Amino acid sequence: MRRFLRDNSLSIVFLLLFLAALFGQAIAGHADFNNNAQSHGDPTMSLGRYVLSSEFGSAVMENWQSEYLQFTLFILLTVWLLQRGSPESKRLDEAGRESDQAQKVGPHAHQNSPRWAKVAGIRRTLYENSLVLVMGTFWLGTWLAQSITGAAQYNAEQLDHHQDPLSWSHYITSASFWENTLENWQSEFLAVGSMAILAVYLRQRGSPESKPVGAPHGATGLEG
Amino acid sequence: MTHCVGPRAASLACLLALALAGCGTADREDDAGAVAERFHAALEDADGPAACDELNEETASKLETQAKKPCADAILSLELPRAGTVADTRVYVTSAFTTLVEGGSDFLDEGPDGWSVSAAGCVPTAPSQPYECELEN
Repeated sequence: MRRFLRDNSLSIVFLLLFLAALFGQAIAGHADFNNNAQSHGDPTMSLGRYVLSSEFGSAVMENWQSEYLQFTLFILLTVWLLQRGSPESKRLDEAGRESDQAQKVGPHAHQNSPRWAKVAGIRRTLYENSLVLVMGTFWLGTWLAQSITGAAQYNAEQLDHHQDPLSWSHYITSASFWENTLENWQSEFLAVGSMAILAVYLRQRGSPESKPVGAPHGATGLEG
Repeated sequence: MTHCVGPRAASLACLLALALAGCGTADREDDAGAVAERFHAALEDADGPAACDELNEETASKLETQAKKPCADAILSLELPRAGTVADTRVYVTSAFTTLVEGGSDFLDEGPDGWSVSAAGCVPTAPSQPYECELEN
C-alpha cells in the first residue's frame, strides 16, 4: 500500500487537491449566489441544489474546457514547434512526427511495447494520436457543456430583467459566451508560454519540468 | 506538466453538466406552467386571494403599496389576462418564462416553496429591451 501511494503520489495528490478545490468552490459559490440573490430580492437555494445548477456547472466547465484546450494544443504543437533551450521542447533536429524507429512502432516496437504500437493500420494510427484525441474530445465536450450551462445561466439573468431568453445558437455567438471563453484561454496561453520560455533560464532542482541546474541555457530537450 | 483531472472524472462531470442544463427541466416547466395557469384561472373566477397565493411575496407587497389596498382587492383591478392557457414555458436556474395562448407572458421565480409569479401581463416592447408588465416586482 505504501509503495502504491509513493509510486502514484503525483496523481493522488492532484486528485485530492482537485476535490478539495472543487468542494471549496461549491461552498464559496453557493454563499456568493445566495448573497447576490438576497441583495436582489431573489430566491436563494440549498447547497445541494446549487451544485446541480447551471450556475455552478457553468463556472466549473469554463475552467475545465480551457485546461483541456491548453493540454491539447501543447501536446499537438510541440510535435512541430520548438523552443531553443526549453525542456518543454524537443531537440531542434527532431521537429515533426519522427521516424518509426525513433517512435518504436511497427517492426521497431519492443517486446514490452503497447500492443497497438506493434500492429499496423487504423489501430496504430489511433494509438499514435490517442492522447490528443482523448484530450481534444474532453476539451470539446467541456466547451459544449460550458455553452449549455452558460446559456441557462445567461437566460436566468435575462428573465430576472424581464427580457427574452436567447436560444443556444444565439448564445454561442454572444459577447457573454466569448468573454467567458477567452478570459480563460488567454490565461492558459500565458501560463504555457511563460513556462516554455522561463524554463530556458530558470531551474528547479529535481523537477522533470526543469533542465538540470547546471545545464547550459542553450541545451534543448533536456529534463532534470 | 501534470493533468489535474482524471479523464474518467472529467467525462462523468461533463455528462452531468449536460444533463443538468438540458434534462430534468421538463417537470419544472410543468410546475411553473401550472402555477401560471392557476393564477390566471383565479383571476377569471375573480378569486383575489387565490390569485395572490400564486404571487411572489415581493410582487404582492409592491402591488399593495402602490394600490394602497390589500393584494386580493388590488389584483382584480389590474388588466391581466383571464383564463390564461400556457402555450410555452422555459425554465433557467430559478427563473421561468411562460407565454400564454391568449397573448402576453408571465415571469416566475422558484423559491423554497415552489414557483410563484413575479411579473404578469407582460408584452415585448422592442428587441433586447425588457418586457412591459401590468404587474411586476
